[in-house]
Amino acid sequence: MLPSVIRVIELRELTKRYGRRVAVDGLSVRVQPGVVTGFLGPNGSGKSTTMRMILGLDAPDRGEALIGGVPYPDLKWPLRTVGALLDAGAFHPGRSARAHLAALAASNDIPGSRVEQVLRIVGLSDAATRRAGTYSLGMRQRLGVAVALLGDPGVLLLDEPVNGLDPEGIRWIRDLLRGLAAEGRTVFVSSHLIAEMALTADRLVVIGRGRLLAETTVAELAAGDDSLEDAFFRLTSQATDYRGVGAS
Amino acid sequence: MNGYGFRQAARMERIKLGSVRSTWWLAIAAVVSMAAAGAGVGLGYRSHTPVATGAQILNNSLGGAIVAQLLLGALGVLMVTGEYGTGMIRSTFAAVPRRRIVVAAKAAVCGGAALTIGLVASFAGYLGGQLAIRGTAIPAASLGDGPILRAVLLTGVYLGATALIGVGIGTIVRHSGAAIGTLFGLMFVPMIVAGLFGESGIAVGRFVPLLMLLNSIAVTSPIPGLFAGWVSVLLMCGYAAAAILCGGLLLRHRDA
Ligand SMILES: Nc1ncnc2c1ncn2[C@@H]1O[C@H](COP(=O)(O)OP(=O)(O)OP(=O)(O)O)[C@@H](O)[C@H]1O
Ligand SMILES: [Mg+2]
Repeated sequence: MLPSVIRVIELRELTKRYGRRVAVDGLSVRVQPGVVTGFLGPNGSGKSTTMRMILGLDAPDRGEALIGGVPYPDLKWPLRTVGALLDAGAFHPGRSARAHLAALAASNDIPGSRVEQVLRIVGLSDAATRRAGTYSLGMRQRLGVAVALLGDPGVLLLDEPVNGLDPEGIRWIRDLLRGLAAEGRTVFVSSHLIAEMALTADRLVVIGRGRLLAETTVAELAAGDDSLEDAFFRLTSQATDYRGVGAS
Repeated sequence: MNGYGFRQAARMERIKLGSVRSTWWLAIAAVVSMAAAGAGVGLGYRSHTPVATGAQILNNSLGGAIVAQLLLGALGVLMVTGEYGTGMIRSTFAAVPRRRIVVAAKAAVCGGAALTIGLVASFAGYLGGQLAIRGTAIPAASLGDGPILRAVLLTGVYLGATALIGVGIGTIVRHSGAAIGTLFGLMFVPMIVAGLFGESGIAVGRFVPLLMLLNSIAVTSPIPGLFAGWVSVLLMCGYAAAAILCGGLLLRHRDA
């Protein structure tokens, strides 16, 4: 395994605007290896945008995102350094899971045997020849997890991995992420489900309207308020854009 | 172990291209449409009086290239827009963040595949025409004959270049429908416009893809005023290079 310092994710003043809307606003965070770090925030708070910038998919307007001190596009073997699950659906629906994984493996000189291995880990071996477009939401999510694990990376970025998973799948993801962190990897996982994060994450990064609201631990956040949920609402109440009202 | 590069990206693109059905359907359709057009032309000439020449038969049997170019152009377009439409592009750029390497790999893989398909289709058109006139008084066109072989080969190369233009337009436009529309527009509209100028249209017409195909590339001797076949094909490759370069420049600053 790589020395742990090169597995740190560091965001420095990361800022992204879409037109006049500021999606991420001067976000500075260090995400450490060896623990699961939860990335929490209300809908539209900039979690996915931050993840895309870490992966070099969206260009920041200001600031930078570094993996072990290196911007993602400068990594020699990106998939072997960082594994990412963005949205469930970053694949061509007409291609089989096996071909999808084989293509990505080829791009980073990852041996073909690893494709079968990750298919087994996520439980898709039997469906591997089917076109991915025919998968259920949970199966797509599993394919996304397989892609993230493909290069056996020291850093994992997962955007809402439990989306669409059944209770058994949720527990599977939880154990998987905790196991990966215990091996000394950096695990950065976004969610708006505070209860789920309480069970999965050790550390928490909370944002609202693109700004850092708190960098804390689950234990710290829970102390003081009645529940973790209350604590989350207290933190984010001033920074929530999309809120429903009661139907009457 | 110096990190990924063109070789890795090209292997990825080869696996991707071969693992979607649309690739195979478009390839088969391109070959079949040329073979059918060739055979149709041959059959039509059987009862033609006075007896058609070998050159006439050849020129017309390669006419299926009008359809094949659209199919292979779509193949090139879909190689890029198929990824934008589905979100696959984010997986691709996460695996190979230096985007120009992705475009170069797509161009190389698509160009190689489309050139192969184009040559097979072109020979199929030729063969279709020749088989259909067997046993008639119409003289056979032999591939041993320089101008005949040249027309068949250049038509194949033209088809490969069309697919590359598709890759370029796909990279610029990113949306499948819009990109295929743009490509088809670029194939047909300039020809219609050149036609409006009548006789003097030839000065412009010799730069227009479809006119080059029908009057300079897929023929034994070009119509006066048009470039030699190989010049026309080079011009097509130039268009493809320009489109891909343009796409590559735009790609750099865009969010995926
Ligand atoms: N491509 C885009 N173009 C324009 N605006 C965008 C784009 N992507 C995101 N935004 C805006 O940026 C803000 C942050 O969005 P983002 O998707 O990062 O939020 P999120 O925290 O992931 O939300 P959720 O919990 O709903 O997934 C939102 O206001 C969104 O509308
Ligand atoms: Mg999101």
